[in-house]
Amino acid sequence: MEREAAAGDLSAERRRRLLRRVDLTTPGLLGLPLAWLVIFFVVPIAIVAAYSFDVYSLFPGKHGFTLGAWRGFAHDPVYLRLFWKSVQMSLIVSTIIVVLAYPLAYYLALSGTKRKYILLLVLIAPFLTSYLLRVLAWKVILGDQGVVNSFLFWTGLRSPGNPISQLLYSRFAVMLVLGYIWLPFVALPIFVSLESLDRRLLEAATDLGASRLQAFRRVTLPLSTPGIVAAFLFVFIPTLGEFVTPSLVGGATGYMYGNQIVDLFGTGFPDWETGSVLAIFLLGVVTVLTVAFSRFLQPRQAAN
Amino acid sequence: MDIALSRNGARLLKAFFAFVVVFLYTPILILVVFSFNNSDVPSFPLSGFTLHWYREFITNSDLRGALETSAIIAALSSVGAVALGTVASIALARRNFKGKAPVSALLLSPLVIPYVVFGISLLLLFHTLGIPRSILTVVIGHIVISLPYTILVLLPRLQQIDVALEEAAYDLGAGRLQTFRLITLPLILPAVVSAYLIAFTTSFDEYAVASFVVGTRVTFPIYLYSALRFPNQLPQVIAVAVVVITISLLVVVAAEIGRRVAERRLGTLG
Repeated sequence: MEREAAAGDLSAERRRRLLRRVDLTTPGLLGLPLAWLVIFFVVPIAIVAAYSFDVYSLFPGKHGFTLGAWRGFAHDPVYLRLFWKSVQMSLIVSTIIVVLAYPLAYYLALSGTKRKYILLLVLIAPFLTSYLLRVLAWKVILGDQGVVNSFLFWTGLRSPGNPISQLLYSRFAVMLVLGYIWLPFVALPIFVSLESLDRRLLEAATDLGASRLQAFRRVTLPLSTPGIVAAFLFVFIPTLGEFVTPSLVGGATGYMYGNQIVDLFGTGFPDWETGSVLAIFLLGVVTVLTVAFSRFLQPRQAAN
Repeated sequence: MDIALSRNGARLLKAFFAFVVVFLYTPILILVVFSFNNSDVPSFPLSGFTLHWYREFITNSDLRGALETSAIIAALSSVGAVALGTVASIALARRNFKGKAPVSALLLSPLVIPYVVFGISLLLLFHTLGIPRSILTVVIGHIVISLPYTILVLLPRLQQIDVALEEAAYDLGAGRLQTFRLITLPLILPAVVSAYLIAFTTSFDEYAVASFVVGTRVTFPIYLYSALRFPNQLPQVIAVAVVVITISLLVVVAAEIGRRVAERRLGTLG
């Protein structure tokens, strides 16, 4: 009896020790995810930054700290003009689709429709399907022999030798496709902010004599500003560095800043140093934007 | 009278909503129509019904190989991202420690990095370390990209669960690992499943980062991208597109239904 009890105690003791060993403390929990991000996210970016100052290079030769590539970037009108053009394109796309998405989110959140979550899913589902395949669809639609042009030939609205060729491979095509891709997604943060709106505030406004329009302008709109800002940044940030859509539907006029970065690391005339400068500059702009508006980008905004 | 919307306003918004839904789904429908069109070029007038393009892509071994590669990468990277995301979310939800704000900022920061910048950064890292590009290098990149998404799904769910349930388990003598396995994990399981699905689809569809670090075995998006540049493959690619879009729409709907059923069942506990 006694020996059995002792053995039981021993195994309990051992189990406790074993458990303590696999017990997950805070460093134990955070160690792996943080290490992963440091090694495969922070360090790589640091390498690019070092590359841009020529502190580090994969090519043989003499290297040392220099601002040469940065100076070249600042004085070369091509890169900055291209950056400004990309900013403009992203601004236009983001503004237009936020303006379009607001009434959609408003309808879902405030019209009292019972099927709002199903309708929200209908709206967002295209965003969850393949990105490249949605670009493909527009390539099929906009080409010289594509759906729009061939439809016009077929119905005789345009002669076959004379397609509307600006449809594809243009700045317009890039902006249309980017807008199409991001529109479902921007409705989400706006919907979240409108849905959490306390309707009693609107009742109070009406009781105090406000018209619907006044209540919207003085109550609803200001309270949904965080959603609007979040939605805007959720599109603006990824489209600013976009290179896939412009390379597929942009042609020469739709070429964006992101394409320039890819080309500088490409096989044609590689210039990794300048490419690193362009990349770090873009990252800097995005970081400043993110930090400046971080209070609008809380996780709960995107969680649902 | 409704304060948010007049009756006419509601009607107008409803019509606008319908219009946008039509705009969003028309390009997809056009792909469906032309995937059955018996012509080498997708253009009007339609020239008869065929299953030729579907048959062709099923027998296309390059395409099948690419789909397989993407499935492997997505399966590996989503398991990795969910595992890392789960431990990170538990730390963020249950522990108090110094520097919580910068730590969560770092964990979520891959959400906002331009993929072109991240792609070249990884490329330079692998060059520096002398690691040849392969399936593994893509998996590494995709785990970084998917990790914040898994945290965004798991963290709110963990915060919803009553901590008293876990404390009760400790009081009854369970270790932390045991508590996690017997109490926490079953309660967050629906969120784990949706995190996994999000990570999987993110990886399966990811082109930008993969294009920098992919090895000789191309992924499905990379195959698609190169096929998009050769018009003679277009009808086949359209047929693939229809299949992939249909499957992903079905997964989205199934995941949503599953999430609701699970949350309703767990709602009494949570």
